[in-house]
Amino acid sequence: MPNNSLSELVSKISRKKQEFAHPIEEQFALILDYYGITWLYEPTTFTLQEDTDGNILEAFTPDFYLPDQDLYVELTTLRPQLNNIKNRKIRKLKTLYPDVNIKLFKRRDLHDLMVKYGLDYEAGYLKGSKAQKNEQ
Amino acid sequence: MNNDKTSASQLSELTQDIDRILITEIEIKNRIIEIGRQISNDYHGKNPLLIGVLKGVLFFLADLLRCITIPVEVDFLAVSSYSTEARNKGVVRLVKDLDIPIQDRHILFVEDVVDTGLTLNYLLKNLKMRNPTSIQVCTLFDKSKHRLVSLPLSYVGFELPDRFVVGYGLDFREKYRNLPFVGLLKPSVLAREMDGE
Repeated sequence: MPNNSLSELVSKISRKKQEFAHPIEEQFALILDYYGITWLYEPTTFTLQEDTDGNILEAFTPDFYLPDQDLYVELTTLRPQLNNIKNRKIRKLKTLYPDVNIKLFKRRDLHDLMVKYGLDYEAGYLKGSKAQKNEQ
Repeated sequence: MNNDKTSASQLSELTQDIDRILITEIEIKNRIIEIGRQISNDYHGKNPLLIGVLKGVLFFLADLLRCITIPVEVDFLAVSSYSTEARNKGVVRLVKDLDIPIQDRHILFVEDVVDTGLTLNYLLKNLKMRNPTSIQVCTLFDKSKHRLVSLPLSYVGFELPDRFVVGYGLDFREKYRNLPFVGLLKPSVLAREMDGE
């Protein structure tokens, strides 16, 4: 396990080079940086389904991995009624990879998190439909 | 003091903003008595130092101390909050350090709520570097659904639901801490405050 200062440095370097799929992901990374939590962005793709030739039919890539916590974190800004595909993938991941720890932050969780950290603009963003763009 | 039957409709200016009471004043009081009894047993003869993080812990710590029947000492910490200004300065930092040295002491770290665990994780790392004999954590409220850092909690009062709640130390924009119960903030109030009205 890397020491704290090294792992914090790795986090900062990776964020500087990192392009995020969604602005909320960047805010989340900034919060982790602030509290000295090491993170990696989309480091692992889990195969969920293959055909008989071994071709991947379905896969899932969680947004973040926190190595010191051995925890994957997935963020979603989709409204709950549009979340079925992602929920199903996470359920499947948990079945196929029972040792993998993953936490889903849903739209309301993210809203509350942004409010908690005083990020009103970002929290407000999660109220409208524009937040749902760029979701896989 | 209001009694357990206190309802949102009876109450003051602040309680008009509350949608529903989730944990009553009497439930909080009874649970703190239980925790105080447990701590008194566990720390008998150890002269623990109770450390609270300002500001939310004030209410819980004050009530808890009065339910502990063994000699204890108290100190406080304060950390920078995640604001734009603080963020620009880099990382979280102590804005008020302890007055009492903690080396070779039994430390009981007291929190009002543990949510993501990010602040607590930072503070525990900081305190452990000062070589106390032991550190345990006591929190009145646990919001484990949002936990990002797994931390051992030795004393827990209540598990909080996955909702935005205020009262008994829990604030929204520094308001509502002084409510004697824990309640759900009305969505309209949340929206109004965030729109800056």
